[in-house]
Amino acid sequence: MTTPHTLPRRQILHTLLGLGGWLASQSQANDTMQFVAASPEEPRARGKNDVKNSKQGRLVVVFLRGAYDGLSALVPHGDPSYYALRPNIAIAAPDGSAQTSLQLDDTFGLHPAMAALLPLWQQGVLGVIPCAGSPDATRSHFDAQHHWETGLPGKSSAANGWMNSLAGLHPNTRALGVGEANPLILAGSAPVQLVPRGQAATRAGSMGDERTHDAVLRLYAGQDDLSKAFRAGADSRLQTSQTLTEAQMSMPANAVDARQMAAADNGAGPAKGLLLDAQHLATLMRRNPNLRYGFLSAGGWDTHSNQGAGTGALANNLRALADTLVQLRRDFSQTNDMVLVVSEFGRTSAENGSRGTDHGHGNAFWLMGSQVNGGRWHGRWDGLAQGQLHEGRDLPVHHDFRAVLAQVLRHTQGLTLTQLADLFPGYAWDSTLDDLLRA
Amino acid sequence: MLAKPSPDLSAFTASPTRSAPPPGLSRRHWLWSAASVPLAGGLGALAFSRPGQAQNSDSGTQWPHLWRAVSRVGYGASPALLAAVKQAGSPRDWALQQIDLARTASQKPPLIAPDLADFNAPLPDIFAATKRERELRKQLKADATDPATRVKNPAAALERRMDFSQIKAPEFYTRRLTLQTAAWRLGSCSQPAIENPLLARMTEFWFNHLNVFIGKGAVRPFVGHYLVNVIRAHALGKFEDLLLASARHPAMLLYLDQAQSVADGSPGAQGRSRGLNENYARELMELHTLGVNGGYSQTDVRELARVLTGWTIGPMQPDGFRFAPRLHDNGGKHVLGHSFPASAQAAGEQEGIDAIRMLARQPATAQRICLRLAQFFVADQPPPGLVKRLRQSFLDSQGDISAVLRVLLASSDFWAADNKLFKTPMDYACSALAATQEAAGADRRGLVLAADYLNNAGQPLHGWQTPDGYVFDAATWLAPEALTRRSDFAFALTRRQSTPEFLQPFLSEATRRSIAHEAPALHAGLMLASPDFMYK
Repeated sequence: MTTPHTLPRRQILHTLLGLGGWLASQSQANDTMQFVAASPEEPRARGKNDVKNSKQGRLVVVFLRGAYDGLSALVPHGDPSYYALRPNIAIAAPDGSAQTSLQLDDTFGLHPAMAALLPLWQQGVLGVIPCAGSPDATRSHFDAQHHWETGLPGKSSAANGWMNSLAGLHPNTRALGVGEANPLILAGSAPVQLVPRGQAATRAGSMGDERTHDAVLRLYAGQDDLSKAFRAGADSRLQTSQTLTEAQMSMPANAVDARQMAAADNGAGPAKGLLLDAQHLATLMRRNPNLRYGFLSAGGWDTHSNQGAGTGALANNLRALADTLVQLRRDFSQTNDMVLVVSEFGRTSAENGSRGTDHGHGNAFWLMGSQVNGGRWHGRWDGLAQGQLHEGRDLPVHHDFRAVLAQVLRHTQGLTLTQLADLFPGYAWDSTLDDLLRA
Repeated sequence: MLAKPSPDLSAFTASPTRSAPPPGLSRRHWLWSAASVPLAGGLGALAFSRPGQAQNSDSGTQWPHLWRAVSRVGYGASPALLAAVKQAGSPRDWALQQIDLARTASQKPPLIAPDLADFNAPLPDIFAATKRERELRKQLKADATDPATRVKNPAAALERRMDFSQIKAPEFYTRRLTLQTAAWRLGSCSQPAIENPLLARMTEFWFNHLNVFIGKGAVRPFVGHYLVNVIRAHALGKFEDLLLASARHPAMLLYLDQAQSVADGSPGAQGRSRGLNENYARELMELHTLGVNGGYSQTDVRELARVLTGWTIGPMQPDGFRFAPRLHDNGGKHVLGHSFPASAQAAGEQEGIDAIRMLARQPATAQRICLRLAQFFVADQPPPGLVKRLRQSFLDSQGDISAVLRVLLASSDFWAADNKLFKTPMDYACSALAATQEAAGADRRGLVLAADYLNNAGQPLHGWQTPDGYVFDAATWLAPEALTRRSDFAFALTRRQSTPEFLQPFLSEATRRSIAHEAPALHAGLMLASPDFMYK
């Protein structure tokens, strides 16, 4: 994948060294809560030629690694080709009974395991683009994720992550990643905060013992970059664990939620997996208004065999995703907050020989937020008839993911067209998506 | 770029002059190099300040070379390993000697403690026990009056200590295998008495290159067997033999769904038809051999998948493999310009073997593997000239891994001070174990801590979900909060341990002075948590 000629794939070291700066800025956090001031009455950008810089929404990207099967989440039940292509794994057309899709309109339905999202759809805060993706047609997970995270389709050489570049546009703005050691989307020169998956994020470990903490830090007192990184890590670790522990102890509302969730989960116990990570992300972003960009990811979507239909492995993943999105909507419901659910590409429109799906091209791209012109789908959809498929097998990409991001960043972050062109060199504004967000 | 790293970054020379990044060096590379100065300066200072050595330039490089040899050819310094290197004459001689020793060891059965041995049982036994476990669990679930009742593990406490001597519960069979595999793996990577250090290293490299995921249920019971009988057994042999062995093992057949890929229209259960699954064919070319830009197309993926139809698991077979002629697509195929003419279905097994060997011999494959080897052993951005030489030796020797390693370990690039490597969590865990657990014997508490640390650090053993394997570079692992988790592990591991004084010569003056001022109970932990211990 990498050649000896390319630069380092991730430029993370200096990325992280700015953390000290973030920590220093903590004391001024109250002065920089601009996003709170954003109100529904605020005048809004209309069309691409307005320039508006007062948008201060928060943005969370949920990346489904492995290419999720959008044709099981957003079910094209109105298209007979769908059932012809997927004799064993199609989600049944809505008829009101269990395990059939939930009607969204005459074209699409929602996977029954994602029923928790139906109210959000009906409230008009959840929308979807059925055929989005990268203009590059690679079917390699790793290349496609690289393209997606750098915002540079077709270029697999080293580059910064676009979310890092986005955070770098504003001096006090930071990005937070929960779960992965060092996701590419956050790599770059702007400082980011990275916390691990699960309960480990809440523990201060050896940094919580004053004597040990001080003795270790004396080993990292220098001005070399490892020392700086360690000091930033120690501060960040204490901050993270303190914030999350306080939140756990002082939130009766969450306790009720947790109980309801447990009941709905058939006694599966407290939040775990993606849902727990989402709770941590939300808590950290709530407590630190400088953290305006969040990244979450989940694996297990590469369903080559026996993916199931109304029930099964994929349905379980979709249910966990829907629960997570419901939680995220509670935490990210201010005017310009936005949650995006994406994947590196889609899966074959036909099922393969082992009741799964192989690597495809276009996929459904979900958007959730008060500014989403939701309760409907957006963009072009030509159905799954043979002549409409990419290379005769996959959903086409009618909408470049960068064009979707550009709409979002312009409307909710106030990015200028120049800034967008810097962030996504060579992308083209997609005016067919101009009604994607409320204006 | 970076044909020759700048001299003022060269470690181990005690050069005090370090300033701005030299022209032509990327900022990141510069930072990364500069970050490792504590170890560099320290070793240099030490080499020049030790009595009787200061005047001798050869011995001036001895300490850093010693550290590099044990940390990269193996997993890290222990008193016994350092003694062995000393006996060999020089770190370089020792390193080169390991190639034949590792190869010889790979051809013999591994040393596995009797209470860990279940994971390496004959494959038909593993298949049978897995089936029994599945049936038993189904039965236990059906018998439970309250559906919420979970099956209790009677041996959880023993498992917690990785003590398997009395654990037999058949309903926890695969769980036991998973833990036994982890215990053996961590022991073999940290104790040269159990495993040749280079063999343990190469086992890591190839397992990662031909990754399988222990979190995928069907794969889980076979991971340990795959590790020992595919990866370890071929780790210093011919690449194509290794690749073929992985292709035929149940762990890989199940992980990338090859076991289910059959000719389109083959009869399946309940009158339904089955067909092709592209997963393995794609990753075989994209990851195991050619690389994503290696010149194959989507058509090649389909065609290769067709070639491999009928390759599946054989639960009753000693090698776990079965070729099912009736499920093979016997039409003509073309893969990368090689044609596989229409033939009798029975010829399908040989077709697959031919295709896999053909892929193993492609120059793009040699390039990809040699680049990865150089990244693993030398530097995140290895010198292109080195990769080129490795590639040539790979092609000249028909993929003889030992031959490639000989070029690699003899190269000046391997020993060059500026070719830094930051430890991955796996490196860190195993080097900490090596430094402190030599006398642990059957006490596996250190291994338990190491396995927990790897989970928290984002590099769980055999736990990378996707077939690309872990990335090993500093850009991935040198992350602020993650560094503090190394400190957690260091102090947990060294609680009530005596201080590993033999590490002193490898620590910088500043580190030694700082540690000397702290309470003695902290000394061992601080040594392992020190910046000096983060590099290999």
